[in-house]
This record gives sequence, C-alpha cells and structure tokens, in this order.
Amino acid sequence: MNATPPRLVPAAMRARIGLIAASRGNVELWANLAVLTWAVAFLVWQGTGFAVTVGTVFAIWAILAVSLNLVVGFTGLLSIAHVGFFGIGAYSMAILTSGTSYDALRTDAIPTFGWPFFAALPVSALAAGLVAAVVGVVLNRFRDDIFVLVTFGFAIISYSVFLNWNELTRGAFGIHDIARPAAGGLVLDSDGEFLAFTLLCLALTVAVSWLLVSSSFGRVLLAIREDEGAAEVFGYRVAHYKFTVWIISAMLAGIAGGLFSSWTRFVDPYSFVLLESIVLVSVVILGGLATIWGSLLGVMAFVLLEEGMRFVPFLPNESIGQARQAVLGVLLVLLMLFRPQGLVGKYRL
Amino acid sequence: MPLPEQFIGRGDHQRRLGVALAALVIAYISWKVLQSPEQALQFTYNGLSVGAVYALLAMGFTVVYSTVWFFDLSYGAAAAMGAYGVFYLRSQEALGGQYEGNNPIVNVVLGAVVAGVVGWALHAALSGRLRARFRRGTLLLAAGALSAGSGLYTVLVLAFPAEINLLLSPAVCAVTALLSSWALCRLYRVLRPGARLAPFVAASAPVSGAAGLACALLVAGADGSRLYLSWAVSCAVAGAVGLALYRGLYIYMRERAHSPLVMLVASLGVLLAVTAAITLVFESAPRPLPEAFGSDPRTIGGASIKGFNLFTIGVAVAGLLFLRLLLGATTFGKQVRAVGDDEEVAKVVGINTTVVIATVFFIGAVLAALAGLLSGHDTAVQPRMGLLLLVKGWIASVVGGIGNLYGALLGGFALGLVEQFGIWDLAGEWRDLISFVVLILFLSFWPTGLLPRR
Repeated sequence: MNATPPRLVPAAMRARIGLIAASRGNVELWANLAVLTWAVAFLVWQGTGFAVTVGTVFAIWAILAVSLNLVVGFTGLLSIAHVGFFGIGAYSMAILTSGTSYDALRTDAIPTFGWPFFAALPVSALAAGLVAAVVGVVLNRFRDDIFVLVTFGFAIISYSVFLNWNELTRGAFGIHDIARPAAGGLVLDSDGEFLAFTLLCLALTVAVSWLLVSSSFGRVLLAIREDEGAAEVFGYRVAHYKFTVWIISAMLAGIAGGLFSSWTRFVDPYSFVLLESIVLVSVVILGGLATIWGSLLGVMAFVLLEEGMRFVPFLPNESIGQARQAVLGVLLVLLMLFRPQGLVGKYRL
Repeated sequence: MPLPEQFIGRGDHQRRLGVALAALVIAYISWKVLQSPEQALQFTYNGLSVGAVYALLAMGFTVVYSTVWFFDLSYGAAAAMGAYGVFYLRSQEALGGQYEGNNPIVNVVLGAVVAGVVGWALHAALSGRLRARFRRGTLLLAAGALSAGSGLYTVLVLAFPAEINLLLSPAVCAVTALLSSWALCRLYRVLRPGARLAPFVAASAPVSGAAGLACALLVAGADGSRLYLSWAVSCAVAGAVGLALYRGLYIYMRERAHSPLVMLVASLGVLLAVTAAITLVFESAPRPLPEAFGSDPRTIGGASIKGFNLFTIGVAVAGLLFLRLLLGATTFGKQVRAVGDDEEVAKVVGINTTVVIATVFFIGAVLAALAGLLSGHDTAVQPRMGLLLLVKGWIASVVGGIGNLYGALLGGFALGLVEQFGIWDLAGEWRDLISFVVLILFLSFWPTGLLPRR
C-alpha cells in the first residue's frame, strides 16, 4: 500500500521549500543570507547615524578589498603589500591638501600646498601607481612564497618610511587638517555627502574591476593564475600582464587612501602597519577569491563583526578590535581547513 | 623534494653583481672600521648580540622549512608565546598583581601542557620499541602514570614558588642520572659492540647517580632556578603548541595536498589569533621583562657588552652544535632528511613521518621561544614582536642559505652586523628597512645565500 501522499502543498510553496532543501550545505547561499540579514538588521536597529559611519568604513575597505582581489584572487599573487599603497595614497592626499602651517607648533614643519581635494585625488592614485611600478619590477622576479615574503618586506619598508621620514610625513605626529571634497560651489562637507561620494568611488572601482576581469585581459590573468608556464607558452607576456594588474590594483588602493585621509582629516603611520595588511588579505580570502561580490561580502562581514562584538558579554569596548582579530584568525584557519576558496570564492589558493 | 627554483641561482652575471654588491658592503664596513675602530668594535658587539637571536630563529626556521617546505608563520607566534610565558611567570605586575603570576587555573593548564608533552614524547620515542615486548594496557598505564605524574609535579612546583629549589632538585637528579646513564650506555655500545648492556648499566649506576645528586645539590643551592624553570615551561608550552598545530591542523592540509600557500594562510590565521589573544591578555604596549642576569656591561677590548648578550651568543652557538648533532649523527636526523627529500618515499620505507615532522615542529617552536625570551630579556616584550622576529629569522635564513644550519648561524650574525653598521650613519629607526633591503638584494642577486644547501 505505497500510495503517494496527497499533495497538500501548493506548487509555488513547493518550489520555495525546494530552494531551502537545495540550500542545505550550500555555504555560498547561507553566507550571503547571513551577512545581508545581519546588515539589514543593523541598519533597521541602529538608524542612519550608525549607517553613515559604518558605511564609510565599509566603502573604503571595500575599495581596498576589491582592488586587492584583482591581484590575489584573479592573478594568484598573494600580496601583503597593499596597505603600503593605501598609505601612499593617504599621505599624498594629506601632504597636498593639508592647510595647517606647522611653524607655530614646535614640531617638524612640512611644506604646505593647499591643493583642493579633486586635484589631489588623481595624484594619490598616480603616486601609488608610480611606487607600484618600481616595486613591481622587483616583485616580478619572484613567485609563490618568496613573493609573499618580499611583499611583507615592502609593507614594512613603507611603514618605516611613513614613521621615520619626518621632513615629509611628520613621523608619529601625523598630518592634520586634510581637505574634504569641494569643487566650485559644491562642498561635500557633511558625513552623509562624503559617504555618497565614497560609495560612488566604490561603484567606479567595482565597475573598473568587473570590466577588467570580464575582458580578454582578465582571462589571461586567470590563465596566469592556473598555470603561468602554459600562459607563457601560448605567447602571452606574463610579466607584462602581472605588472599591469599590479599597478591598476595599487592605483585603486591609492584612491582608497586619499578617501581615507580626507574622511578622518588626519593621518598617522599607525593606520598602515603590517598587521592591517594581513587583516585585509584575510578579509579578501574570507569573502572569496576571484569574485568581486565576495570581497564586498567579506568586508561587510568584517565590519559588522566589530559591531556585533559590542554585544558579547564580558568584553570591554577597547578590546573589541583585538577580539575581532582573534576571531578573524580562527575563521581563517577553519576556512583553510574546510573551504580554501573562501565563503563565495571561485578559486582555491 | 628539491629546493624551490627561486633559491637556485640564475646565471653568472647575477652572481657577479651579487659579489660586486657584497664587495661594496665590505668596503663600506672596512672604511668605517678604519674611521674609528673603537666604535666599530662596539657596533660589532651590538650586531653579534642581535644576530645571535636572529641566528636561533633562522636555525629553527630553516629546519622546519626544509622538512615541510612551507612558510610557517605560526613560528612567530611561538616566539611571542615564549617571551610572554616568561613575562607571565616572572612578572609581579602581570594579571592583577598575583605573586609571581601564581594563578591556580593557569598552573593547572601549564601542568596539563607539560603532561601532554611528556606523553607525546613517550609515545614518539618508545612505542615502537616497547610494543613488541609489553602488553598494550601495561604500556598505556605506564605512559599515563608518567605523564600525569609529570603534570602534577609541574603544578606542585608552580604552586609553591618559594620552595622551588627544593621541589625541583629531585626531578633534576632523576633527569641527570637518566641522561648520563644513557650517554654512558651509548659510549659502551660504540666501544664494545655486541656486549650485553645490563651488567654495564648496573656497574655504571653509581657514576650516573652521583652525577644526578651533584646536579640536584647545585640546583637546591642555586639562585636562578626560578628563572630557568620559567624558561623551560615557556619553551615547553610554545613547543607543545607548535607540535599540536602540526598534529591537529597542518597534517590534514598536507594530506589533502593543498598548495603551500594554503598552509601559509592558515598559519597566518594562527599568528593573527595568537597575537590578538596576547594583546587581549597583556595589553599592546611594550613591557620590560624582569632582569635575568649579567645586566652589567663589561669592557672587552675597548667596547662594552653585557654578560647576558655573551650568554645569548653562546646559546646560539650551542643551538647550532645541538642541531648539527641531532640532525647529522642520529637516526632521527636521517629520518628528518629523508622526509625533507620526499615524504612519500620516507613513508614507504617505514619512517613514521607524523612523529618525525611533529618533533621537528616541536624543536622549531622551542628554538623560536628561546629566541623570543632571550630578546625579551635583552629589550622588552610586546605582542607584535612575534611577527617582527619571524620576519628577521626568515631574512637571516635566506641570507645564510635556506636549508643550511651553518648558513643560518652565519646569516643571523651577518644580518645583525649589517643592521648595526647600517644605522651608523642613519637613525636607529631605519633598521627594519635595512634588513629588508638586504633580503631583496639577496633574493635578486644571490638567491642561494652565503652557504648553499649542497
């Protein structure tokens, strides 16, 4: 008597149940759902003031992560040097636009240029790209773990320059009074307007990255990642491609840096330590290698993790950053063990 | 597995450039020496003291790397753990002013770690030989009793810091007696191969017993045993963590044949988590370790050097000798080299690769912890020291030649000297930059390092 049970559930409903059933074990879907629900819940709960601050942090980090993913995910070069380019962008913006003359303060004086924001932003990108070109010539010789080691070196060297070249960066004192975006009568002074501008930059970054990776150029990058030797045999100048994507990624990071220093209106070297770079790479890997959406998701999860941790009992507010770093470390280990491509990634390291 | 191609030189013109660069550096240093010999001697002393720490790190790193062939970043975590272990055990300010960090929970945890290490060591060293002779249950019982006993003993010693000399001396007596008895037996085996050992053991028992008693009396009357105990416990804890990381984590990744980058990123995660945990417990500011010994500078040949730094240099040289003996003159060393050459083949010929690699990780982590605590005593401890020391150890081993122990020692001292002579004209803050420039120059022009592997 094995009669099929009567179909009580309507067809549309069944389709939905089917979706849920299919999603069991579908890490990608669950990761998307969890992070997005978390984000929306926070927005609803905390209101717009919260959204403006967290949104700006998110947008700047997302530019960094998307641009880093071009190198790490799409080309397969694990780079720890990204924070160096971020810092170069931030310092270019700071030095060019800072209005304060430090003669009154008895610290190292730096020349005052007083450029407007929109003139300085392209220079931030160019400066980062220029340094990336020099570094890239050296880095192009190395592969795999030696490449990682040398990028570590570049991150430490750039931090060391920020901290110790007092005539240019005022060292540990930092640079104050950095301009907000303004052109003619249009002054983007409030935090909300700045957020809108940053999101615009993020959208441009995503567009550039998407165009890049979906073009024939991007397909060569994938080929290099999968097998560098084979790509070379097919006649592609591998070094040339790696060099180009390296510089583009660095320029995007420079833009992120310019935005960052304009947003905080103050830079000091401690925002650009090596650990920051390691955290950034971890976030990119957490989100997923070789997907733009994965980087956005990873940064979203990372930013929200900090906010979520405010509700952990027995955790004082000042140690949230450290606790988040510990959680990130453990997550990274678990990911490498069970899911080396990250939450929504397409490529395993 | 052969040496990665990046460490193999690519053509003569590169080597010529490298030699030219080295000649430039040597010319600069000798010019400086001629300029003011006393100051040069002072910088040499400083460079050697810093270089000894780098050398220790480089030796451990090179042993681990040439066995498993991936960059183990958690190695830096071991260095930080070693330093902070001493900080915890020795500092009265740590954790709300308990006396000498005497917290029952932590004592029990440390005891458990020691018990685990002892149990693992027994398993690794003896299970193969004894399993044929005794029943499994007997072995388990004996090993369990020994490891539990050592754990309880550690808790006891940590719980009564005032009576530490008295409590430690029996253990020192037993360990020394066992070790000397073992050494005598080895010697006897070499001198008269094939003779029965049992009568000789009985005959030599008084000698080894006397050695044990002498050491015990020394410890009972000594001042510094609390310091050495804190060193031993920190090294054991760091080593246990290194061992557990391999046994509980990396081994699964290696089984799945992931690329070295996966392991690198996983160890990055470990480093992040450990650094953050240390910061959470001990704050991020640099803290001084309590004075060890030999803090007065003494003048040798016109320049001054602290006794403790001389001790550090001695430790580095002793570490080299120990590793050289261990890897060059024992069966274990042969096994390590076999695993480094080809793990699969090593497995086929009957080497227990798990035990061998885990032991290598243990040794590497202990060396890193030793380097961390020595540099902590010399300067200060801070959570991010792990990352900095790790990176310096890397550079030193690349400079000396990956996979070569003498090269690691040489590279460590060379790096220390170049750093110190480099900051003669520049400010001291540029030290990290100088060492990375050295690294990039070496990788570009002289990738085999000073002493090539073979």
